[in-house]
Amino acid sequence: MKTVEFLLAPYCEIYGEFYNIEYLKKSSDKINIIKSTHKEEPYFVSHHVDMIYMGCMTEEKQEKAIEHLRPYKDKIKELIDKGTIFLVTGNAIEIFGKYIIDGKRKIPALGIFDFYSERRMNDRHNSLFVGDFNGMKIIGHKSQYSMSYGNIDNYFINIDRGYGINLDSKKEGINVKHFFGTYSLGPFLVLNPYFTKYLLKLLGITDSLKFEKEAVEAYEYRLADLLDRIKY
Amino acid sequence: MLRFFVALWAAKLVMFINKLRGNLRDDWPGLLAFKICPRFLAYIKKPKLVITVTGTNGKTTTSNLINDFLCEQGLSVSHNDWGANLYAGFALNLMRTVNIFNKTKMDASILEADELTLDQTMTMIEPNYIVVTNICKDSLRRNGHPENIFNHVNKTFENLGNKTVAILNGNDPISSNLAKGSKRVYYSINDLKLNPNENIVRDISICPICEGEIKYNYRHYRHIGDFFCDTCSYKTPESKYFVNSADLNGRTMVVHEGDEYTEYPLISDNIFNAFNVLSCIAILRELKYEKNEIADFLARQKVTEFRETIVEFNGIKYYTFGAKSQNVSAASTVFEYMAKEPSKKDVVLLLDELYDRNHPPETVTWLYETDYEFLNSPNINKIIVGGRMFLNHKLRMLLAGIDSDKMICLEDEDEIVNYVSTEGIEKVYVLFEIDYVTKARKMRDKIVEKAKEKVSR
Repeated sequence: MKTVEFLLAPYCEIYGEFYNIEYLKKSSDKINIIKSTHKEEPYFVSHHVDMIYMGCMTEEKQEKAIEHLRPYKDKIKELIDKGTIFLVTGNAIEIFGKYIIDGKRKIPALGIFDFYSERRMNDRHNSLFVGDFNGMKIIGHKSQYSMSYGNIDNYFINIDRGYGINLDSKKEGINVKHFFGTYSLGPFLVLNPYFTKYLLKLLGITDSLKFEKEAVEAYEYRLADLLDRIKY
Repeated sequence: MLRFFVALWAAKLVMFINKLRGNLRDDWPGLLAFKICPRFLAYIKKPKLVITVTGTNGKTTTSNLINDFLCEQGLSVSHNDWGANLYAGFALNLMRTVNIFNKTKMDASILEADELTLDQTMTMIEPNYIVVTNICKDSLRRNGHPENIFNHVNKTFENLGNKTVAILNGNDPISSNLAKGSKRVYYSINDLKLNPNENIVRDISICPICEGEIKYNYRHYRHIGDFFCDTCSYKTPESKYFVNSADLNGRTMVVHEGDEYTEYPLISDNIFNAFNVLSCIAILRELKYEKNEIADFLARQKVTEFRETIVEFNGIKYYTFGAKSQNVSAASTVFEYMAKEPSKKDVVLLLDELYDRNHPPETVTWLYETDYEFLNSPNINKIIVGGRMFLNHKLRMLLAGIDSDKMICLEDEDEIVNYVSTEGIEKVYVLFEIDYVTKARKMRDKIVEKAKEKVSR
């Protein structure tokens, strides 16, 4: 069995993120999901995990999540270095940067990666993107109040159409070893079946995806549609 | 003030021209007033009674009921009932209530208001009452998350303080926590044994006071119910207007107020409209209207026609039914209603948003926040969906456990009419995104025409 921790699940289920791990679980009976909460020590601290998932959260919860995880920063670093799979979607990625600016406030984050984020609560950004990762086309959705800045050498997705971590960037997210972080929110894995297969393979699972044929058809149709429609 | 009067006169002139053209619902005069004088809403004289109705779901039905009642009582009322629930709509609404010298000439204004801009607009308008129907998950693109909506609405009450009375849904653990510095009047409903389905995404799961878990003695739908926190004292507040019992199918409910129990008619058989009626009763009772007058009025009301229309042919009822797709809570609630309304039915989904069709930032995220699982119900004979999202709907329905034999997913929406059953069912529901009222009716009418053709053959 492979253990996947849905870290801070009560904070991180606001935009259908639940379906990311649900899709893994539906695709393979070799996956065991552990949901950990803000009221307890993260499961990874004292147990072996094969993958950690974190999704989008409200801005208030994001700050609480940083404080909750701060005591385990070194352990998180150790797991990343060791090659544990991390999938981090939406604004959860900002938790791993240096800090978040919100007006006059500077909120220290975990400082694991060399970037910072800036939050503008009156300026919601919505966009889609299509990009490349490891020869795969990745589709993403963004709907967020913040953007990130900094010199990110190890970006996750090279954007073809749409925006990267900020409006001037064509580089999206972070990929260090098996840490995959992206601003794309919601059911990222359902929308990207080839990447999901790649992720399962990293977990050592070669099962087909649940409704793989239909998932690939939906992906191919949507990819063609987006390439046709996104002009920036 | 000179700037204000220039704005008022210019906007009034445009309003007059629009009136000559028979165009009374154009927001342009309101927008013009705002462009000339950004604090127009603060300077314009308000009628004696200003009621704002806001919240994620139910504000149109509730504000229509309040408006219609007050009009029946002989009050002159201005109501932004044309869907303009932002600054320009409010400006036009209030402009109708004053003359060119900014003197009040009407008795009341009913403002149906968007939640996210409430703190900017209502701080200037200073309404006597703000009714908050509920705060639920809404469009991701427009509203973000419920916590964000709460913050905007709460800031409004913080700004207004005791100037405004808050009429709040005591069964909503999100919005019942609003307006701590204002006078609060609550309404709520007793356990009606509705046994609602569990939603895949909860609107609120953590106590806003202590971060404990929100639990329920009973729920009505989604997060609306008799709630309590498992670690602190946060719970459903005591309500001044409490539905002691209700017969949704018989369309009546009994409201406990003070020492008295009063029976009121309902406008439909669903729980969300029971809340809309109850919020209307709460505000009208606060205004000291008699219970029997309110009950008489409600007996003559029905659901706003554009949200639900029916045509009958050959023993099958064909409905159009508003579902507000990307408003996840509304769509899930309608899906649950489809499952629980016992008739055998075909369901047609016309849920792609107009905005999304024309702009690239279209999102399919809402599909995975909405409870398609509810459509996996034996009384739903067939689900037919059309449009460019058809394959995404198909995958979502498969993952929800719906049998592939039950679903028809078509790229071309015009093909839908060819697949709707004409026998073996009692009803056909065309669920439509509310931008598409006309399109939904056309689709429904084409379906009926097709059925007629089939019978005549």
